[in-house]
Amino acid sequence: RPIPGGIARPLFMCKPYINAHLLKGNFKTIVVLPKHVDKAEWIALNTFEFYEFIKLFYNTCREFCEKKCPTMSAGPGTDYYWLGADRKPRPLPAYTYIEYVLTWINNRLTDETVFPIRNSHSVTAGQTQIIASPHGMQDGQTWLGKETGFPYNFFSNCQAIFKQMFRIFAHIYHTHYVNMVHLSLEAHLNSFFAHFISFSREFELLDARDLEPLQPLIAAFDEKNIFQGVKNAPA
Amino acid sequence: LGSSKFDEEENRIVRDPGQYQPVTRERATATKLKIELFYKQNVQHALERNQRRNDLENRLASEPRMSEERKNLQRLNFGSQESNFLRLRRTRMVAEDFHTIKVIGKGAFGEVRLVQKKDNGKIYAMKTLLKSEMFKKDQLAHVKAERDVLAESDSPWVVNLFYSFQDSVYLYLIMEFLPGGDLMTMLIKYEVFSEDVTRFYMAECVLAIEAVHKLGFIHRDIKPDNILIDINGHIKLSDFGLSTGFHKTHDQAYYQKLLEKAQAPSAPKSADRNSVMVDAIHLTISNRNQVNTWRKSRRVMAYSTVGTPDYIAPEIFIHQGYGQPCDWWSLGTIMFECLIGWPPFCAEEAHETYRKIVNWQESLYFPEEIHLSPEAEDLIRRLITSADQRLGKGGAEEIKRHPFFHGVDWNTLRQVDAPFKPQLKSMTDTTYFPTDDLENVPDAPAVAAMRAAQAQGNMAPGPGEETGLPFIGYTYKRFDQLNRHGGL
Ligand SMILES: Nc1ncnc2c1ncn2[C@@H]1O[C@H](COP(=O)(O)OP(=O)(O)OP(=O)(O)O)[C@@H](O)[C@H]1O
Repeated sequence: RPIPGGIARPLFMCKPYINAHLLKGNFKTIVVLPKHVDKAEWIALNTFEFYEFIKLFYNTCREFCEKKCPTMSAGPGTDYYWLGADRKPRPLPAYTYIEYVLTWINNRLTDETVFPIRNSHSVTAGQTQIIASPHGMQDGQTWLGKETGFPYNFFSNCQAIFKQMFRIFAHIYHTHYVNMVHLSLEAHLNSFFAHFISFSREFELLDARDLEPLQPLIAAFDEKNIFQGVKNAPA
Repeated sequence: LGSSKFDEEENRIVRDPGQYQPVTRERATATKLKIELFYKQNVQHALERNQRRNDLENRLASEPRMSEERKNLQRLNFGSQESNFLRLRRTRMVAEDFHTIKVIGKGAFGEVRLVQKKDNGKIYAMKTLLKSEMFKKDQLAHVKAERDVLAESDSPWVVNLFYSFQDSVYLYLIMEFLPGGDLMTMLIKYEVFSEDVTRFYMAECVLAIEAVHKLGFIHRDIKPDNILIDINGHIKLSDFGLSTGFHKTHDQAYYQKLLEKAQAPSAPKSADRNSVMVDAIHLTISNRNQVNTWRKSRRVMAYSTVGTPDYIAPEIFIHQGYGQPCDWWSLGTIMFECLIGWPPFCAEEAHETYRKIVNWQESLYFPEEIHLSPEAEDLIRRLITSADQRLGKGGAEEIKRHPFFHGVDWNTLRQVDAPFKPQLKSMTDTTYFPTDDLENVPDAPAVAAMRAAQAQGNMAPGPGEETGLPFIGYTYKRFDQLNRHGGL
């Protein structure tokens, strides 16, 4: 697919695929924080669900990824490196990288000190309280989810999870989109990705520079007003 | 990025899913369905949440004397309930969250246990269904849709479903526990019912079946084991979206085999029925022991995947199509059993029962020594008849108007005192369940799964990956029910 200037246009930017969507309209109703609902709880649930579904999408690429992807690439010139225990970044086969990421996310999601589940919200004397005290409580400080049992680093944990999830999207789009098309999954993937971006915009979970590898796609969705009704892109 | 000419260019790929391994194609299909369901549910959740909030605001608006402070407290309360529900949605329930108190029932594909949720101490009935068995027997198709609708129905006549989840081996249904057992146990205990008692249960069944029909469903597997008794002695139909009965006994291939057997000149004896059983026609009131021997063997049969055809309408066997009236036939056979002591087409072997049902004109027989009122016999005869003649084909009203039900107040039936109210010592009393028969069923579902796998000569199924295609959407948590019934 050569285009003038010599750079190949990625398949996901081509018609008709770029126009393929499972869902019509924008994501406002399912993204914006419902009234009276605890924000941390809302972000926690959505993080959980995005994880469940990105795993499903990646599982459909596994067969190929395992054989064909020596690096965790996201388009020409972009390779993600894994930060080892020694803090040194090193390249990994995409398959291994994603395995690590999924395990890492799963470990967080199932860690009750990060994503509490057992205690429940209750109201006493006009204040929402959680039975147990949140993990990592720091004196005098306040943070998202403090009153409802989430640890002080809850939000930064979610940001880190979103960043890694975005990388899986980027790898799928740049390397496995053709598999998605053969399996007729492109409309589902596009809508799911648009949902993911809507949500991360609304709650500022991703940095603009993280989005780089899929910026053209996001811009194309923006043009179609798919993100209408949620907060604007981070500057 | 490129000229506009290129934007116009279409880059169509000839799709070739065949190049992928079957497992990948299955995963793709599952992903599609799950995503579609996910968005459908997400929108539904949003709508329901809005509805609940509007309800709250309307309620608050109608309380002019309530202080603003109190109102805000209510809003906070509402918010924390909603937040709890969100938390619940990301809680992956596992079998280990429940502690087994006792095995209380057994079905074709698993068991029913009385369980207690470890974190909040609440009591439930947990039904397990062995996925491998369901796969093998092709019992998959309609499972989901039916379960969804029935679970959502929130009808007092249908057992409430609180949660459902799955692991690699089982599907789990967490239902309300009905401590009164089922109608079969009741019949084993009392042998026969008086006409008054029969009238009560039949009238409740009429309303229950009517409720199911109004939802657009046909139960197709109404039998005494599926009629459960609640704490007050009133009935509820067991969760039948997954009731294996339909999927096993209504298997066309299975019927075909029965048909061939019935037509064969001398059908070989099969082990379908316990051999102590004798032909129903020879059972008389003086042979009560035999009735109960028969019933007990019926209980055993309920544990097998073969199932009993005793209550199934002939049109289900013969024709391709059948409709709601088939449930009224089943009701007729149950009424017969309540009054006479055995179902009308009871026989030693399933194919013989089948033959009798198909030839119901000849085989329906009321023993002379058992006296029935003319109304009772007439109602049974109007139910056990061809579908186009059957009472109820024009709606439940037809049945309600039958003279046998004279004097029944249909509107307050569920509020009146039931003839037998379970006498319970505690919340977890299992007096009304045949727990002795179930002694060798392991307490923990995992152990049961291992044994089942070994019995089939398979390795115990490991915790594999879920493509879960037939069981999509099988993670069920309903806000209203949890809330109203104290699940939260
Ligand atoms: N919610 C419940 N509360 C109490 N007991 C129950 C409940 N659900 C089922 N049981 C008991 O377990 C027995 C078997 O359950 P059920 O009939 O639902 O399973 P099954 O036999 O697999 O289904 P089918 O009858 O369609 O074959 C019932 O007859 C009843 O005694």
